[in-house]
Amino acid sequence: MQSSFDLQYIIELMPILLKYLGVTMEMALWGFLFALILALGLALVRVFKIAFIQHLASLYISFFRGTPLLVQLFLLYYGFPQFMPIFVGMDAFTAAIIGLSLHFSAYMAESIRAAILGIDKSQMEACLSIGMTRLQAMKRVILPQASRVATPSLMNYFIDMIKSTSLAFTLGVAEIMAKAQMEASSSFKFFESFLAVAVIYWVVVIFFTRIQHLLEYKLNKAY
Amino acid sequence: MISVSQLSKKFGDLAVLKEIDFEVAKGEIVVIIGPSGTGKSTLLRCLNYLETPTTGNITIGPASIDALSHKAKDITELRKQSSFVFQNYSLFANKTALQNVAESLITVWKVPKQEALSTAEAILVKVGLAEKLNVYPSQLSGGQQQRVGIARAMAAKGEVILFDEPTSALDPEWVDEVLAVMKQLALEKQTMIVVTHEMQFAKEVADRVIFMEDGYIVEQGTPQQIFSNPEHERTKAFVKRALKQH
Ligand SMILES: Nc1ncnc2c1ncn2[C@@H]1O[C@H](COP(=O)(O)OP(=O)(O)O)[C@@H](O)[C@H]1O
Ligand SMILES: [Mg+2]
Repeated sequence: MQSSFDLQYIIELMPILLKYLGVTMEMALWGFLFALILALGLALVRVFKIAFIQHLASLYISFFRGTPLLVQLFLLYYGFPQFMPIFVGMDAFTAAIIGLSLHFSAYMAESIRAAILGIDKSQMEACLSIGMTRLQAMKRVILPQASRVATPSLMNYFIDMIKSTSLAFTLGVAEIMAKAQMEASSSFKFFESFLAVAVIYWVVVIFFTRIQHLLEYKLNKAY
Repeated sequence: MISVSQLSKKFGDLAVLKEIDFEVAKGEIVVIIGPSGTGKSTLLRCLNYLETPTTGNITIGPASIDALSHKAKDITELRKQSSFVFQNYSLFANKTALQNVAESLITVWKVPKQEALSTAEAILVKVGLAEKLNVYPSQLSGGQQQRVGIARAMAAKGEVILFDEPTSALDPEWVDEVLAVMKQLALEKQTMIVVTHEMQFAKEVADRVIFMEDGYIVEQGTPQQIFSNPEHERTKAFVKRALKQH
């Protein structure tokens, strides 16, 4: 059966879907925040070459970059509770945030590390020469400079993360993709429903891309 | 006040410093000259522990360190006793001139921020940069950047300032203003060790000139002795060549 395109349906569906955009953005923002903290830790462990832990960090990064996000989410939400009781009570929303942050931290750690290593060695030496410790140098001079370098790629990961939150529907999180799926299967208007959700993601991404460019412009003007 | 004994540095199999001994008194201005590749930079960098010596002992003021048994704490303590002026300035790119100079006071010496900033301002005024306090390094000329570099070293409260060819990277037009600042410091009896090819500066300002070659101190003495009456053939040859170029 072929049905005609129903614009009216899309217009009516939009406000219903938009109510769930909050959940999507909440996952992306929390996920990004935790990913950033984790990534910074991982990057520093690797830059300072801290014994043992640096190898664990490399293993971690290799695993989370080497396996699909969907598999990681399933492992975390459906797999772990089977033999680690603390995961039993975990709700799908929390699991999605944890999964997203673990996954993206691996990528973000690499771009933070590259940014740190890209800062001229003389900056660290200048810090040390006046008696600063390596940690003080990192905090006061190296990281501020590296953050300027890393910001564009970190923003890309944030945008990527917004889109990846759509996978949380496979865990049963009631976010925007899950709602679109539900509406589609009750109305049978699959094309319209998924087009509507695609447009929403697209507009959100365009919005954050603009912010990214503004941020880059400001950072480039700073010094 | 500064005492270096049996200082050696190897990069792999390459011996760059060979059991160097020397002392510097408080307020003394020591200029180190010598052909390039003879270990002058490495010596200065070892004094500041930017390079880890292979063996030897370094004492600067109250801090003392032995290469074979140093601890992280000793290294930081030693570094606090000296500061470094780099050939390529190496100013903190993300900080203004004022912040560059105040940084050691705030972070290392825990001076209250306002006090640190006013001290830093006074030092920048002294090196002739009163107009440039809030300017970032990228907007300064080479000569101005190096004067900030010297100001940063002055603020660091160390016993000695180490200069590694501070004018070598400068366009000729900026050399004099940097040398002027260094001469001013010399008049104030700031202890300094200066590696330079500026023979005129060495003649005028140094209390003592050290001629280094091939990882050794070949000869040292007053500028008069080294430039007019050197003992060693190699010193004679180097000085003759160096003076001709200027
Ligand atoms: N990090 C390093 N690794 C290996 N060799 C080095 C390093 N730094 C300096 N050298 C070598 O040590 C020697 C002395 O260098 P340097 O101290 O810079 O001499 P100078 O300052 O007198 O020109 C040179 O042969 C140089 O190639
Ligand atoms: Mg040199």
